[in-house]
Amino acid sequence: MWRMSLCAGYRSVGCRIVGIKGLWGSRVVRTCSTPAIPAGRITALQAVDLWTNHFVERGVMEPDHSSLHILAYLLGAKTINSLERGKLSEFLSPEKTEQMWRLCSRRLSRMPVQYVIEEWDFRDLTLKMRPPVFIPRPETEELVELVLTDVDMRPGTGAGVDAPHTCLEVGCGSGAIALSLLKSLPQLKVIALDQSQDAVDLTGENALRLGLQDRLQVYHLDVIKDAETVLSLCRHVSTLVSNPPYLFSEDMDTLEPEIFRFEDHAALDGGIDGLKVIKQILTLAPQILSNHGRVYLEVDPRHPPLIRRWVEANVEEMRYVETRHDVSGRPRFCILRKEKSNKDHKLDLD
Amino acid sequence: MAHRRAAHLLPTASQCVSRLWVPRLRNPPNAIGQTASFLGPNGAPGRAPRSLHTATPSRAAKLLSLDELFAKRSLQEHLKELQAEYAECLKAASSRGDEPRTERTRVSLLAPLVQSIGELDTKRRQLAETETLLTDEDPALQELAQLEHEGCQREIQDLRQKILDQLLPEEEADLSDLVLEVTAGIGGQEAMLFTDEVFDMYQGYARHQGWSFDILEHMTSEIGGLRHASASVSGPHSYKRMKFEAGVHRVQRVPRTEKQGRMHTSTMTVAVLPQPTEISFTINSKDLRIETKRASGAGGQHVNTTDSAVRILHLPTGVVAECQQERSQIKNKEKAMKALRAKLYSRKLEEETSRRYNQRKVQIGTKGRSEKIRTYNFSKDRVTDHRLGTTVHDVRSFLLGEDLLDQMNSWLQEFSNQEALEELLEETQRDGS
Repeated sequence: MWRMSLCAGYRSVGCRIVGIKGLWGSRVVRTCSTPAIPAGRITALQAVDLWTNHFVERGVMEPDHSSLHILAYLLGAKTINSLERGKLSEFLSPEKTEQMWRLCSRRLSRMPVQYVIEEWDFRDLTLKMRPPVFIPRPETEELVELVLTDVDMRPGTGAGVDAPHTCLEVGCGSGAIALSLLKSLPQLKVIALDQSQDAVDLTGENALRLGLQDRLQVYHLDVIKDAETVLSLCRHVSTLVSNPPYLFSEDMDTLEPEIFRFEDHAALDGGIDGLKVIKQILTLAPQILSNHGRVYLEVDPRHPPLIRRWVEANVEEMRYVETRHDVSGRPRFCILRKEKSNKDHKLDLD
Repeated sequence: MAHRRAAHLLPTASQCVSRLWVPRLRNPPNAIGQTASFLGPNGAPGRAPRSLHTATPSRAAKLLSLDELFAKRSLQEHLKELQAEYAECLKAASSRGDEPRTERTRVSLLAPLVQSIGELDTKRRQLAETETLLTDEDPALQELAQLEHEGCQREIQDLRQKILDQLLPEEEADLSDLVLEVTAGIGGQEAMLFTDEVFDMYQGYARHQGWSFDILEHMTSEIGGLRHASASVSGPHSYKRMKFEAGVHRVQRVPRTEKQGRMHTSTMTVAVLPQPTEISFTINSKDLRIETKRASGAGGQHVNTTDSAVRILHLPTGVVAECQQERSQIKNKEKAMKALRAKLYSRKLEEETSRRYNQRKVQIGTKGRSEKIRTYNFSKDRVTDHRLGTTVHDVRSFLLGEDLLDQMNSWLQEFSNQEALEELLEETQRDGS
């Protein structure tokens, strides 16, 4: 239900933009408060200043970064720093001005910049972004880094030294993790799951744009509701990676409007203790992974000791290996390993 | 007659472009390249399209020709000493069994040089032989002798150059890549516009040399121009060449914004930091504090920011590097780390280089950082390098970062080598070894 109002919300903002051009400098505040497009020509820099001020007035977060990123995108650059000399002081064409107004007005409604410009970078990939599919966070770039460095150092995982590794990603979102791994590891195959059809579609779209679709399979599955199906699809996986919803339900209310209004809550809410999906992943892991296969999770900073204790008590075949920190020094990543116990070896049908 | 001989001895245009060793032209330094640079389209000596002239003799850097260098007694003595040392070490190394490790390494170090010296002696004897035939009665023989004579002379010059290269030890940093930093100096907006042009020039130079040029930081100013920028440059001999670009560059012209047509002088600074390889220089991650926008609050899924700037502080030294060039935070981190490594590495090398370059005119390192090395005068359309005392025309072409810059850079290279050689000869003379 919240999703329907969301769509209606930003569509209505969109349809108010075209129309009356106010006088340059006049502050005509209309019903949905879209600032008027100036009658005369303005430079790129003037447009940025104007909109930064609008954002400040309306309490929009990161007002300067927002207008700079939108402008850079419009002028064909990633960031303002990489723009060609003098572009900032050039006049914007009427088309570009109109586009600037249209995009910045979306930002006024607290839509995240990544959704406004419909793209963002993750490691060395540029991915298409679309609400409500979860926007990749910088911490997750480090999760991928972790997996990549570990893969280099790991011996064969028992599936045969020359056999290509398969990785399972739970909750692929826009495809950031899956596609980064596929890009960096030419021999890797990835199975990606998400409970959201939008996410499945977007991952597929990004895979096609990057030419990585051949080694990727994406399924619309919920790791809790569709556990049986998941298990039938995934066997002898060497790596399980996930950035599962890990927020505590009570923290959902404290989220900024950018997140609360626009991103899929199911990609964020991990239940009372934030561990709902994590626990399910770890429960299924022994059946999905080959022996010595590893799990890499991004989690809330409070989780690592909780996860360690829970796994020791509840999942016999998973060993907690270590906790790694993110760039800000918070405990952020949990690494676990499947260790088949001796008694199971005799009954081993793998 | 002598003039005609001289014309034959002039290197062809292609030779000039590939090896701009000025002394090969056998002219005194004050007449560097006046007419002798290129052969015109019909084979006659012609003027180079861009002429150049040196400053007055007293200010000009004395770039000695190969002939002059090899005429030096100190050099001849030094070469003889090295040959003698080689012979001794060879004897010592072969006589006893496993003892003389130092002698054996010395032998392998000196071998190529000694071989070149031997080849040079052989060539000079050959030259002497052809000289006798030059006055032969048979015109066919004479012509043949002429050709051989010229060939010998060219090979002699090549061997001499080779010997000089082998004499001078390669500096550790010469093999590395670099981080280039440009900063606007005095002159407000005009200085920033000039900084932008100079940064473009080096980007062009990198393209010209086939190097990669990866921008790490690029702080434009709101009023136009570039406040500060840095780039990671990599490719063969990149640091070796670029190190001479470090220092203060000055521009003299009527700025675009100047309404009354007055000339202004503005400055910008270039810093060149060698970029070490992973193995040769490691930084302990515990010594680093990495600052990002994500630091406050819970981070992760709780927050969505688009500010992915990264700032890295090296705690023991206080050196800082930052980057906001990319949208990806991890990419900004990598670039900041690159810049940091270069800064720390150059600090490490600082001691060595300042000792070695202490007495020289061509300074590198922090000592050279505040030296005015070059002036770009637009109204007189010339670029002057103050270390060489050399002036080149056509500022706009120079700022393309192509042949003109390459030419000047080569001269700086030769001059620096020459200073290094002189130091080397003085040292050995002093040591009396």
